[in-house]
Amino acid sequence: MSNAIETRGLEYRIGRSFEIRDLALNVPEGSIYGFLGPNGAGKTTTIQLLLAMRRARAGSITVLGKRVPQEITAVLSRTGYVPERPHVDPSLKIDEALRFHAAFYRSWDDKEGERLLAQFDLDRSRRIKRLSKGETGKFLMVLALAQRPDLLLLDEPTDGLDPVVRREVMTAVVDYVSQRGATVFISSHLVHEVERMCNWIGVMDKGRLVSEMTTDSFKSGIKRLRVTGAPQSMADPPFVLLSRQPSEGVIEGELWVVRGWQAPMRDYFESAGARLTEVTDLDLEDGFVELLRTSRSRQPLEGR
Amino acid sequence: MFSQLDSRSPVPLYDQIATRIRVAVAAGELQPGTALPSVRQLAARLRINPATVVQAYRDLEAEGFVEMRQGAGTFVQEVAQDRRSSERARQARRLVRELVNEAARLGLDTDEIMEAVRTELGAKRS
Amino acid sequence: MFRVILQSHWNWSKLLLGPGVVAAFALPILSVQQINEPGYADWSPWGTAGLLRDVESWGIWYAALAAGLGLAIATSAWGSDHRGGHVYALSLPVERWRYVLFRYASGAVLLGVPILSFWLGALLAIASIDLPDSLHAYPTELAVRFALASLVAFTVFFAISAGTMRTAGYILAVIGGLLVAQLLLATAGAGVDPLEYVVDRLTSWPGPFEVFTGRWMLIDV
Repeated sequence: MSNAIETRGLEYRIGRSFEIRDLALNVPEGSIYGFLGPNGAGKTTTIQLLLAMRRARAGSITVLGKRVPQEITAVLSRTGYVPERPHVDPSLKIDEALRFHAAFYRSWDDKEGERLLAQFDLDRSRRIKRLSKGETGKFLMVLALAQRPDLLLLDEPTDGLDPVVRREVMTAVVDYVSQRGATVFISSHLVHEVERMCNWIGVMDKGRLVSEMTTDSFKSGIKRLRVTGAPQSMADPPFVLLSRQPSEGVIEGELWVVRGWQAPMRDYFESAGARLTEVTDLDLEDGFVELLRTSRSRQPLEGR
Repeated sequence: MFSQLDSRSPVPLYDQIATRIRVAVAAGELQPGTALPSVRQLAARLRINPATVVQAYRDLEAEGFVEMRQGAGTFVQEVAQDRRSSERARQARRLVRELVNEAARLGLDTDEIMEAVRTELGAKRS
Repeated sequence: MFRVILQSHWNWSKLLLGPGVVAAFALPILSVQQINEPGYADWSPWGTAGLLRDVESWGIWYAALAAGLGLAIATSAWGSDHRGGHVYALSLPVERWRYVLFRYASGAVLLGVPILSFWLGALLAIASIDLPDSLHAYPTELAVRFALASLVAFTVFFAISAGTMRTAGYILAVIGGLLVAQLLLATAGAGVDPLEYVVDRLTSWPGPFEVFTGRWMLIDV
């Protein structure tokens, strides 16, 4: 199984501070990849680098098997892009914008465009500047989907949209994947939305890729443990210790957040004379927050 | 039928879907020959990755609960009585396991648990 | 692809192009109106010289119209893109140079309309008057000059508006700088005139703007 998107050692900088550093993305073909990260992590910049809208200082980018930016035109003809902010001329009517867009893509499907417009309840004769935020979001998705791309690059496609529109848009994306087996790369800070749809997760923070794995691995591995009587330093844990803090509130002990937990690891605590009283699952959002907290506190130590 | 799907649970979504169908078949809710929703329909309805649905259906097929027929869809299979009973037993034990774990966390002992079970079942019957 | 670009360009420019086409047709005709008036046709050497002076005075209008059309077509070429900050154009699967070429070509095509109407106007103007043997009419030559002037203006403004606000700012800053230098040197009495030098270089052959400053003669010896 090859990667639809692959970057190696990607570096990008504005001014003197590093914006993106040593980025190694691996987006498997046919996956729905959730690109998570707090605001300012560099997610939009990364997408712009993938589309050759910005030029990297170092590293390589391969999208759909082609080098970027050398073969960018070939890549763009098979990529549907929904940016964070609308990029189409707002003075156009929906009809005009569709026809303009269609002229550039050989794979454009008029009937699909019609069907999606009807599904989203969009009127062809309306001007884009008169559309509501939700309608604009839906329209941008129509442009991207009617193209029948092999790769969908969605930059916060549902940000600021109400739940009803969000569902409409995401259902259309899922439906498209069912039909075409396309790869979807969706950047978002709405973790719950991503949790449902994505089978791969990449977490970005402060210009670096902090974690990249399947959603199931990410979720099954991360647990919160309640531990009592553990000595200050405990040697060689079989799991990855993400954080360790005294528990707040009435119940005593410490709260450990670990990754890669498996049930037999209880013995580790017992042999150290500690007691493990509780194992809680963390959902994706909790896991995401813990991961960020850890990676940020680690950075100065590792000299990154 | 799938309204209980919990995307936040550590149990993978494909597992949750497969379990739900397994239980439905075991309980007779889904009769043999019934067509399950297509991958496309179910994925769109639940807004999940179609690959997840495929995985659930494949697992069920491997266990003999359903059959995936090319171009026609996925159909519930006839499952032997003893198979259904063992599946029911499995699900019952899974439920009880959760109950027992939770009770232990609260510090309840066996007698207290059994008393509570009897009371609740009694209340249900009447 | 070119078709939709041309269509989009047309939509952005049609409000200005309409009056432009009318003006292009009308100017040459207006310029010869006096000749048909009774009593004007005094073909003595002084009369002829007067006529030629009148004809030459229309030059400024032709030049202005050519520059104006060039500006209008150029800015309307990039109107759509500026709205979205060029992101949309960059996301399209077409090489940048090809896209720019398409936009330039569509501008040239649209310019053809007023140029054609100018030529027709000039031909009509000449057809409606009687010239003595000593004078000749040059409607086609004039139309060619008009076409070249429009294209030069279009090209310059196209290049400026193709860039970002920043590049346009740089260009204006350079011009502004020249003006300031001019002013300072003049007040210092240095006797050096940088602006005139630059303008002179640009407007006399082989400078690109010669086409504007040369003589626009519909009728000449």
